[in-house]
Amino acid sequence: MHRFAVDPGSTDISPVSFHPVLWICAAAVFAVIVLQSVIYLRAIRKAAGSVNLTDQQVLGSVRRGGIAAIGPSLAVALVAISLLPLFSTPAVLTRIGLVGSAAFDVAAAGLAAQSQGAQLGGPTYTQKVFAIGFAAMTLGGLVWMLTALILTPILAKGDKTLRKVNPAVMTVVPTAAILAAFFTLALTETTKSGVHVLTLLVSAVVMGLCIAAAKFFDKPWLREWGLGIAIFVALAAAFLVTAK
Amino acid sequence: MSSKTASLDGLAQFERTTSIWGPITLGLGFLVSLAAALFTAFGTGLGITGQEVWTSFGIVFATFGIIAVVEPISYYPILGRSAMYQAFMIGNIANKLLPSALIAQTDLGEKPGTRRAELIAGAAIIGAALVHIITLIILVGFLGTWLLGLLPAGLIAVARLYILSAVFGAVTVQAVVAMKNVRTTIIAAVISAIVVFGVIRVAPALTNYATAISVVTVIIVAWYARKRTDASAAGAPSSIGH
Repeated sequence: MHRFAVDPGSTDISPVSFHPVLWICAAAVFAVIVLQSVIYLRAIRKAAGSVNLTDQQVLGSVRRGGIAAIGPSLAVALVAISLLPLFSTPAVLTRIGLVGSAAFDVAAAGLAAQSQGAQLGGPTYTQKVFAIGFAAMTLGGLVWMLTALILTPILAKGDKTLRKVNPAVMTVVPTAAILAAFFTLALTETTKSGVHVLTLLVSAVVMGLCIAAAKFFDKPWLREWGLGIAIFVALAAAFLVTAK
Repeated sequence: MSSKTASLDGLAQFERTTSIWGPITLGLGFLVSLAAALFTAFGTGLGITGQEVWTSFGIVFATFGIIAVVEPISYYPILGRSAMYQAFMIGNIANKLLPSALIAQTDLGEKPGTRRAELIAGAAIIGAALVHIITLIILVGFLGTWLLGLLPAGLIAVARLYILSAVFGAVTVQAVVAMKNVRTTIIAAVISAIVVFGVIRVAPALTNYATAISVVTVIIVAWYARKRTDASAAGAPSSIGH
């Protein structure tokens, strides 16, 4: 009944986060991916013969790729579900599930909330903060699409200036940027409250254990599932210590 | 001779189709996302100003912009031209699309880099994308939304309040392990701590730019402190954005 009760200061974000337009956009992104897949599959089947691929082998590769993606897809779904309370279904489906990733989108929304002097999920998480956070993560994600659109034709031409970039730049810069971003974001969490510190530590330890166990027992799936498992165990710990 | 012409034609047509429809479909995905962002900010009557959106986008861009430029360059040699347009729309490149493509190529005894491998990768990515979409719609779209309505409000409130800590703890560990670079890890940890517990305390006005300041500083310090002898080229960086 309050579906469209838009109020920038309200902490019930659902009128905005479940807005029909966002559902339509989410459906449209899925439709574009299906459209692309159909066009590509037709093109691949037509060209297959010229590189000694039978139609069966092409369809077999589709199936093989699909089967290989089941595990990772379930792992992504688990992380996505944990973010539903924060961002609601349409945003989670498109941002976390498809185009973006949990790490980037949560970071982007957190940074955007901070610029409003607010915190995601808390009493200051209003419709307005959700909207700005969603806009920031989406616009940020568009930069990836844009660079892919611009750089792919340039790289395809074998552009020399891009190839001549010092390989050290390509390894040092992204490593430094990613580590700096997430260390800063993680440490900023510790300044919020004791429970935040505990949640952060539990999450980090569980992830570490998953990675170690994956290596020790030679079970790579544990690594894939690590993020989802760590988030749920950490939230459970937060719930236990805050429960009255 | 004639078979050679036919083979060129087949691939040339694939080239043509994907070089037209790849950008068009990725461009469509771009426009839909842009529309969603602009509508949420300006079309819902929340009274958000352009200034507020640009400020928050600017902070995000200052933090992650450089990674968004580096990732397409580092994935290109593995994915090939046509698959770039698939990968940067579907996302989850490192954890899902690349393994799917590699498994399908191995099955058919092909190594990345050939035209045959590019077609196999394209087919495998299609399969991965469809499985991913179906899981998302069923598990997150239907089941997740239903589950959300079922959980007590207190539980949801806790999940909302502490989810950032829960994500960043694991992601930071994941990044440290994936990067396998002790030197940069130490530099990043120390500088981030100085920024969060020092700079921001002294100059609270810089709070919004804390992450961007750390990123720029760590890049500069890590660059000058890098191992000069280590010429081994690492593979693609583990994806954070996509």
